[in-house]
Amino acid sequence: MKEDRRSLKIFGIVFMTILTLIMFLAFMPGIGVRPFGEISYRSVPTDDYYIEHGIEDVGAYNIVTTVVFDYRGYDTLGEATVLFTALTGAAALLLGGRRHGEE
Amino acid sequence: MGRNDIEKGGMSLIVRTIASILLPFILTFGIYVVIHGHLTPGGGFQGGVVLASAALVVLVSFGYRLAENMYKKYKTLYSPLEALGGILFIIAAAIGFSVAFFYNYLWTSRTLFGGTPGTLWSGGMLPIMNIAVGLKVATGFAGVLALFFIYTYRKSEGEKP
Amino acid sequence: MIPPLQYFIALFLIVAGIWAIMLKKNLIKILIGLSVADTGVNLLLITLAYRNAIGGAIPTAPIYTGYEKGMIMVSPLPQALVLTAIVIGVSVLALALAITLQIYRHYGTLNVEEIRRLRG
Repeated sequence: MKEDRRSLKIFGIVFMTILTLIMFLAFMPGIGVRPFGEISYRSVPTDDYYIEHGIEDVGAYNIVTTVVFDYRGYDTLGEATVLFTALTGAAALLLGGRRHGEE
Repeated sequence: MGRNDIEKGGMSLIVRTIASILLPFILTFGIYVVIHGHLTPGGGFQGGVVLASAALVVLVSFGYRLAENMYKKYKTLYSPLEALGGILFIIAAAIGFSVAFFYNYLWTSRTLFGGTPGTLWSGGMLPIMNIAVGLKVATGFAGVLALFFIYTYRKSEGEKP
Repeated sequence: MIPPLQYFIALFLIVAGIWAIMLKKNLIKILIGLSVADTGVNLLLITLAYRNAIGGAIPTAPIYTGYEKGMIMVSPLPQALVLTAIVIGVSVLALALAITLQIYRHYGTLNVEEIRRLRG
């Protein structure tokens, strides 16, 4: 049992070191992503379309709300389903077994 | 709710008075954030969480006897309200089904919510969807918080949870 | 050699959360690590949506209320997706806490090694 715990700790520390190194390398400005705040030219056409045509398509000033509820409405539908399912499951776990008693 | 509420899980008189005074302001702010979702930062989810925090203030300061009485009295009201929020969201999305599923029918034909952009009566389907999602989130979180509370206090008192 | 400060804070939160999930023995501490990692990922997604000032324009939120002529709007798409991710994280945490309460009632302990040994 002691050897199990010590080998688990060594594996944990080695894994965390490798993970930290990979993450830091992936987010350095020269090697990985672009520098902070610059425009990524693959996503500019979509963002400019949402900002320019948001008012005449939907009619609301809040561009984030038009993206959430009108341009990407299916994601909000899926999220409402996940919320409903998780809260129903939590309520069923906390209330269940009251009528059947302890066996 | 007299003077001997402290041993039933509630807090002192000062906390109860301040919670009773603060409750209308929290509710008004939550409804404001939900309804003005298409003009200012906010919307359905954020306003629903603010309304659920009003329920949490009442739960923590008044004790679990009040929570149990309220739960027994309104037990058949919470889950239909949450289901009503979800059904209202799907109906609002399926009105313009002849063109597409999430088609903004109320804005392109300038009926009920079709004013000039920037006022309250604008935005098409967005205020209806905001109210539906806010109702769903607020009642869902308030119900689950009340259930956690009742479960813990029943278990610590020895009753069957 | 560390990344810029805006990325470094989000990466630090993610690494701390994963460290707590892997190497802790108490169930509540594992759930706290899960929540911290969730927060770090949402922060990282929002940080990627910023736009610098181009030609003297001030970056501002993508809302037209209070918008003047000399402003540039940041990207609204990651903010909409992070809104969904936050709500899903809270729902998963509520369900996990309900399961933890039932585990404590059934086994009497919250230590992960002892639960793995008892087997009901």
